[in-house]
Amino acid sequence: MAADAPHPAFEGYATEAVPQAAVGSPGKDGVLELTFERTAEGTTLVHDYATVPFHISGTLGYDPLPEADTVFIQSPTGGVAQGDRHDVSITVGDEAVAHVSTQSSTKVQSMTCNYAAADTTLSVGAGGHLDYVPEPTILHADSRYLQELTVDLAPGATAVVSDVVVPGRLARGERFEFERYLSRVCGTGPDGLLFEDATHLTPEEEDPTAPGVLGEFTVYGTTFVLAPDHDEARLSDALHAVVTESEARAGATALPNGAGVAVRALGDRAETVQSTLHAAWDHARTELLDAPAPSGRKY
Amino acid sequence: MSDAATLESFRLADSFLPVGTYTVSYGLEQFIQDDRVEDAAGLEALLSTYLRRQVGPAELVALRAAHAAATDGDIDAICRADRRLSAVTLAAEFRESAQQSGDRLLSLQTDLRDETTLDRYAERVDTDETPGNYAVVLGVVTALADVAVREACLLCCHGFVTGLLGAAQRLLSLGHTDAQRILDELQPVMTAVVEESADGAVDAMTPFAPLVDVLAAEHERAERRLFAS
Repeated sequence: MAADAPHPAFEGYATEAVPQAAVGSPGKDGVLELTFERTAEGTTLVHDYATVPFHISGTLGYDPLPEADTVFIQSPTGGVAQGDRHDVSITVGDEAVAHVSTQSSTKVQSMTCNYAAADTTLSVGAGGHLDYVPEPTILHADSRYLQELTVDLAPGATAVVSDVVVPGRLARGERFEFERYLSRVCGTGPDGLLFEDATHLTPEEEDPTAPGVLGEFTVYGTTFVLAPDHDEARLSDALHAVVTESEARAGATALPNGAGVAVRALGDRAETVQSTLHAAWDHARTELLDAPAPSGRKY
Repeated sequence: MSDAATLESFRLADSFLPVGTYTVSYGLEQFIQDDRVEDAAGLEALLSTYLRRQVGPAELVALRAAHAAATDGDIDAICRADRRLSAVTLAAEFRESAQQSGDRLLSLQTDLRDETTLDRYAERVDTDETPGNYAVVLGVVTALADVAVREACLLCCHGFVTGLLGAAQRLLSLGHTDAQRILDELQPVMTAVVEESADGAVDAMTPFAPLVDVLAAEHERAERRLFAS
C-alpha cells in the first residue's frame, strides 16, 4: 500500500502526483489545534494553533450557557483542494464546555488527481462537554474526499457531533457527480470502542438513490448525541419525537454500548436537514446541560 | 466438503432451524407500512440494498473473521469481531434481533455439539463479555462443522433473504412463485457480495443504508407491528 493511503479504497489515488503545490507543502497540510480548559471564569481557550487553510479569530461569547466558550473555524481559501491533508485536534478539559463550528460550508473542489482528506480528533475530559457541529460538506463534481473523525469521552463526558453531506452544488443541478466520499465517525470511551459509523458513497459504482440507501432524498446528515452515563432509551424516544415533527425524514435510535443516540435525517435541501438536526441538538443540550443549543446563525 | 459438512450447511440454511427468523423483518415491515415496498420488484430492489449495503460490508466481514478465528480456536478474535459488528450496527432493533437469533443458534448448537471452542465462546456471551451476534455465531458454528467459509457466507445470505421473503409473504400479497423468483434473481447479488466481503477488514466495516436506519427507528415506535424488527 502507498505510504500515504489511510484506506485501501484510496490506494490508487494516493499514487497520483499533484501538479500544483505538492501534498504536504505549505497551505496543503492545514493543522488546527484547540484546547479548552475549565477556569474560574468558565471555559477558556488555553491553546490554539492554526495553519492555512485554518484561521481562528479568538472566541465568541455567544453561547446561551454562560460558562461555555465558542470557536468558529474560518478559512481564507475557497475550499478543500486535491492533495489537501487536514488535521484537526480539539481537546476539552475536565468540566469545560466548548462549542466548535465552521463559519460556512466546507466546499470540496473538483479534482483531476489525488484526493483530499481531513483527520479530526476530539477528546472530552471528565464532566466536560463538546458540541462539534460544523456546517455541511459540499462535494463538487469529481471530488474525492476522506473524512475520519474520532471522539474520545472520559468518564462523565458528553458530546454532540454532527455531520451533514450535500452531494453537489444543488442549485446548479449538480448532484452525485463526485467520485468518492468516505466519512467515518468513531466513538471511544474508557472501555474502548463505543460505536463506529461510515458513509461511503461512490455514485458511479453504486446508486446512492437505491431504496433504503438515500432513496428519493439528496442531503444526508447524522447527529450523534454521546452521553454514556444517561438513559439512552429514554433520550432516544425523546429525540425521535422531536425530529419526526420536522420537515426532513428523520429518526433516532440508541447507539451500541450505551454510547447515546444517533439521529439520522434525510432531505432535499441542506436547510431542512440542518434545522431537523438542530432541533435534536437543542433538545439534547437542554437534557445534558440545561441550556438550549446556540442558534445556527453565523452572520 | 464432506457429506457431514454439506448436510450441516443444509440444516443451518433451512428455515426449519429454530432461531426465530419468523419474528424479524429488519425494517421491511416499516417499508411496507410506508408504501415504499408494494410489489415483488420493489421488494427485490430493497433486498438487494440489504445485501450490498448491510449484509456484505458488515455481517459477512464479521462472519469471515469469526470463521477464521474459530478454526484457530482463538476466542478473543471471535469476540473482537462480535463486538465490532455490534459497534457498527447503529439501528438498535437490528442489534437486538441479531443477538436474539444468535443466542438461539448458540444454545441449540451447544446442546447438539460437544466443542470446547463453542462452549468457551458461549460462556463469554453468557457473561455479557461479547454480544453473540447471529453472523458471528454462524461463523463459529460453520467453521467447527468444516463448512468452508465461502459456503458459510452464501448460507448467511440465503438465510437472510429467505427469512425476509417469509416476512414479506405475511406482509404483502406475495405468491410463492414470486418469492422463489426473487430468491433466484438475487443469486448474482449474493455471489458478488460474498466475493467483495473477502477484502473487508473487521476494523473497517462500512455498512451504509441510512433510509433503512430511519425506517427502523420508526418501526421501534410503531404502535401495531407483527415483527420484532
